[in-house]
Amino acid sequence: MRETYGVVLPDMKLADLTGKLIVIEGTDGVGRSTQINLLKPWLEQQGRAVLETGMTRSSLASKGIKQAKEGHTLGRITLSLFYATDYADRLEHEIIPALRAGFVVLTDRYIYSLMARAIVRGIDPDWIRNAYNVALKPDAVFYLRIGVDDLIPRVVFGRGFDYWEAGMDVHPSEDMYESFRKYQTALLQQFDVLAEEYGFEVVDASANVRAVFERLRDGIARVLSGEPREPLFAMARPQEQTEQSAGSKVVESPAPGKAAAGGE
Amino acid sequence: MKRYGEHRFPGKLFVVEGIDGSGKSTQLMLLHQWLQAEGYGTVFSEWNSSPLVKETTRRGKKKQMLTPATFSLIHATDFADRMEHNILPLLKAGAVVLCDRYIYTAFARDVVRGMDPKWVRDLYSFAVRPTGAFYFRVPLDVAMNRILDGRTGVKYYEAGMDLGLSEDEEESFRIFQGRILEEYEKMVPEYDLTVVDATLPIEEQQIQMRQIVKARLAQAKRLRVAP
Repeated sequence: MRETYGVVLPDMKLADLTGKLIVIEGTDGVGRSTQINLLKPWLEQQGRAVLETGMTRSSLASKGIKQAKEGHTLGRITLSLFYATDYADRLEHEIIPALRAGFVVLTDRYIYSLMARAIVRGIDPDWIRNAYNVALKPDAVFYLRIGVDDLIPRVVFGRGFDYWEAGMDVHPSEDMYESFRKYQTALLQQFDVLAEEYGFEVVDASANVRAVFERLRDGIARVLSGEPREPLFAMARPQEQTEQSAGSKVVESPAPGKAAAGGE
Repeated sequence: MKRYGEHRFPGKLFVVEGIDGSGKSTQLMLLHQWLQAEGYGTVFSEWNSSPLVKETTRRGKKKQMLTPATFSLIHATDFADRMEHNILPLLKAGAVVLCDRYIYTAFARDVVRGMDPKWVRDLYSFAVRPTGAFYFRVPLDVAMNRILDGRTGVKYYEAGMDLGLSEDEEESFRIFQGRILEEYEKMVPEYDLTVVDATLPIEEQQIQMRQIVKARLAQAKRLRVAP
């Protein structure tokens, strides 16, 4: 049976969620959406029904968040809670129904990005973790990891600097380049902390699009085939893990990071 | 980030709590007028009033798309905006801030809707502890009669219709308010709420309230503002 990070919402039935929840995480401009645009058709060719979702796409809160961000007037706690509202709406109205119907849910970012952003803005890490205790544990988190030096040219020659992606709310007096560099460096450090805590599978995103895609494709294929995955459920479900390991050969080396079963 | 901390700002925060029909808003209004007449810089802050979040809450309610989780989170978002942009700056500036409903309203409603009590309390741990929190205790029947006399109907979420307690709105409202009452009673010792007997005459309740407020304002340095 599926698990949350500690708190089960009222009327949330965790049985029969037969689909797979796959998270693509990574910082701004790292190429998440490029990869999702490749992964979705590939999954569909395999005969899988796919639901694609991502931050601020809820029917409840997306409009409000966009409007509020335009004025740059949201406080950091308010913004965090607005995102949590958006997440909860998508969880209950999109993600869970899709998993119940056996879909592969491919999500562009998950709670980890929101935690990282909140923490670099000075939010108490325990507070933000508590807020997302209601979140559903995914089947796999693929983290597209990149260094800030590789990231900057992509952003500069891509869509350019954005107020929020440059953390201008955190470093308002600096120029956008300096602010981007500082903010993204802090964010990437935070992602590394979360990668270890939540057992992300780390993918080197400085490689070319094709190479990254192949890594993700192979990783997802392994999750879908039901082979045991390290490390997300390693501690939470020791019994079943042993049974599965005995039945099938483990070819992949375990992903880096300790087997934190997530949450507390 | 402080957790439900005693604030050190020069301002003072007084809040009123109680079920619908307990008369808390009337009492707060009377207190407001008195404080202003006494020369205190007094600001009134209402539950569910953040301009940034209001539109989303309104939409969720109108389309009945709120679940217990999103109901809880959107109200916490609204409260956070008021805390960050309204209540905290006012307290720093030395104002007397009056809130019609505070975090206890959320604790009561959200827990009745099935949310985890500890989760909800942790969610609101950024809120500052009020200088005084008044709970207007009233029997359910008295409150029901006051409410249903003066109104034509009760709104969907207000009546707790989302919980499927009863198909009849009035019946659902009664059951829902009864459960909220139980949650308030649990919070009286937990948060040391000052209980006011809301069946007493209005003037008498106000006298009690003013005595307590006066004592707590006197403890602080006097921050009189010209009216």
